[in-house]
Amino acid sequence: MRVLIVEDEPRLAENLARSLRETASYAVDIANDGEAGLEMAQQNPYDLIVLDLMLPKLEGGEVLRQLRSEKVATPVLILTAREDKASVVALLNSGADDYVAKPFDLGEFLARVKALIRRGKGQATPLLTVADLEINTLERRVQRRGVEVVLTPMEYRVLEYLAHRPRVVVSKSELLEHLYDYNWEKFSNVIEVYISGLRRKLDNDHPVKLIHTLRGHGYSLSAEPAAGEQV
Amino acid sequence: MPEIQPEVQPAARPRRARTMSLSRQLIAGVLLTELLLASALLVVLVLYTQRLLLSAFDSMLQERAMATAALVRYSEKKPFQLVFDATLQPPSPNRLHPDFYRVQETGGPVIAADWPAGLPPATSRTPTVSTWHGVHYRSLRLTQLPVLDTEENLPGPAPKLTVSYASPMLSIEQRVLDAAIFAGAAGLLLLAATGLLTIWGIRRGLAPLRRLAGQAAEISALNWEFRPPPAARDTAELAPLIAALESMLSRLHQSFLRQREFLGNAAHELKTPVAIMKSTLQSLLQRPRDNQAYRLGLEQSLEDLERLQLLLDRMLRLERIEQAAESGAASRLPEVSLAAGCAAALERLQELAQARQIETKLVVKQDALVRAEGDDLELIWTNLIENAVKYSPSGSRVEIRVEAAGGEARISVEDEGPGIAAADLPRIFDRFYRGDPSRNRGTGGFGLGLAIVKSLVEAYRGKIRVESRRPAGLRFIVELPAHALPEIVAAPA
Repeated sequence: MRVLIVEDEPRLAENLARSLRETASYAVDIANDGEAGLEMAQQNPYDLIVLDLMLPKLEGGEVLRQLRSEKVATPVLILTAREDKASVVALLNSGADDYVAKPFDLGEFLARVKALIRRGKGQATPLLTVADLEINTLERRVQRRGVEVVLTPMEYRVLEYLAHRPRVVVSKSELLEHLYDYNWEKFSNVIEVYISGLRRKLDNDHPVKLIHTLRGHGYSLSAEPAAGEQV
Repeated sequence: MPEIQPEVQPAARPRRARTMSLSRQLIAGVLLTELLLASALLVVLVLYTQRLLLSAFDSMLQERAMATAALVRYSEKKPFQLVFDATLQPPSPNRLHPDFYRVQETGGPVIAADWPAGLPPATSRTPTVSTWHGVHYRSLRLTQLPVLDTEENLPGPAPKLTVSYASPMLSIEQRVLDAAIFAGAAGLLLLAATGLLTIWGIRRGLAPLRRLAGQAAEISALNWEFRPPPAARDTAELAPLIAALESMLSRLHQSFLRQREFLGNAAHELKTPVAIMKSTLQSLLQRPRDNQAYRLGLEQSLEDLERLQLLLDRMLRLERIEQAAESGAASRLPEVSLAAGCAAALERLQELAQARQIETKLVVKQDALVRAEGDDLELIWTNLIENAVKYSPSGSRVEIRVEAAGGEARISVEDEGPGIAAADLPRIFDRFYRGDPSRNRGTGGFGLGLAIVKSLVEAYRGKIRVESRRPAGLRFIVELPAHALPEIVAAPA
């Protein structure tokens, strides 16, 4: 998952980014003002945008309005110092998905981030299942047929992203965009490495293969083989 | 030590109980005056009635004495002796206490007497009062009365008569008593009636006061609306009270609003630094880390805390200045030189200016003295110059000019920075205003420096304004009441 944090307090932005990276293994980008934030949000596919309201150059509310007017549907979590009903209502009405009031609890912040990403992918619970594969996104643990599978952080991130959209073919570049920070191009060859690692750990001992490769298109996570699949 | 408390309370109580009632006092005053008047009137009335009745009584007494004397005549046979015909004497009006009389030939024998032994004899023409059997009798004695009956062949000079007559005063006393009772009753009735009227009138008169009190009692921190009843506003005695109340309320309300706004702003401003600190500490605790990471986290938190403290200090300073301004600046302040203050502020900021490669220059056209705390003025200049230095590009100039004319000094601080949009200029002195938050945060500002400057300048009854310079930059102009120094002092940059 890839998250954009638009926050002008560098210390706060760094703390949030560190938490998201460490506890959720998300890729995190930081923008220090509204203009940069808007530009980054327009150019990169994020799974969530964390947006402060009091921003230099362009206010958070304006960033949100412009994003929504350009049909960018990425979930937006607002950081605000104002907690009065009117401003919260106005925020939600202008397209925000949720808010946390400063000073917030980091645990609550993380939980809201995860919930918003899940909802954004159409998943209602933190437990993702594909056939006999179970992914607990809270504890970041993976089981197949009740047997624990140990994954590297990057393998887990690839799997979680695929599992959020089961049966959908996800391209390599989409994976790269969502799993890495802005300079993902230099990692373009590593996805194959992670996919083969996942295949080895998940599929080798099982007759039903879950990870499918469509050459030239991408990858999908499903119990049924995809059309045109190359084994 | 809970035993001490009950001892304290009763001491405070009597004060509370002895509230003075204005209406009760007024009523008591009116009634007392009336009572005095009524009593005086009663006494006068009684005395007057008594006198009137007595004089009538006395004439009656005299008439009866004369009539009694008229009953004396000569006997029909010789020697013509004086006899009294008691049968012709009219009966006494009061049978229980009859009149008494005694007729005597002057210097001769008693002709007739109905005079009890216990009643002292009358001695003079003017009636006197004596008591007989517990009844007041008024008696007089007339002498030298002629005998009305004539007899021609009378030897010697015509005899004269001395008549004493006494009559009980019961009827007079009764009538005086009646008059007194009547007057007293009427007085009491009048007193009661006017008492009630006074109570009603005073109640009615004080009603606007009560309504005013009711209105005033409804004012609270949540409800500042004060609508004095029109009747109270039209009352001459209450109008000044209402005016005083209204002006007091409006001042309190202003002060309250400012406090609340300050509190709101402060709370809002404190949230971000608190959020930063909290996130730093929480992310530090999220997983076990090595000592160096903990150390770094603690150092960062301390840094954040120091920023928080700085913000708090500034906010409190601003609040103190405004309160001092409200209470009125003291006139026993020292006179401070403006040029010296600016030079000191510039000196203090020299390091920052050099670090940012900004040339500073102080031009003193005319120095002046201002009555102020030196620290306050220096803070004004420091904040203005610091503001200019921070927002100026390196290599640019910041110029401070001190001028004075008449009773006013003018200090301007000019920079060649990027300036501020014209629309934002009026808001530049607002608390927590940041033209560009990133720039301010980068330089460690909170948006309070200029608010402090404005408050200070206004506390010294001065004015401050800001204008854009061409082609770029800002000019802050402070005008303070001052008096110019005679000679021109040229100060080095």
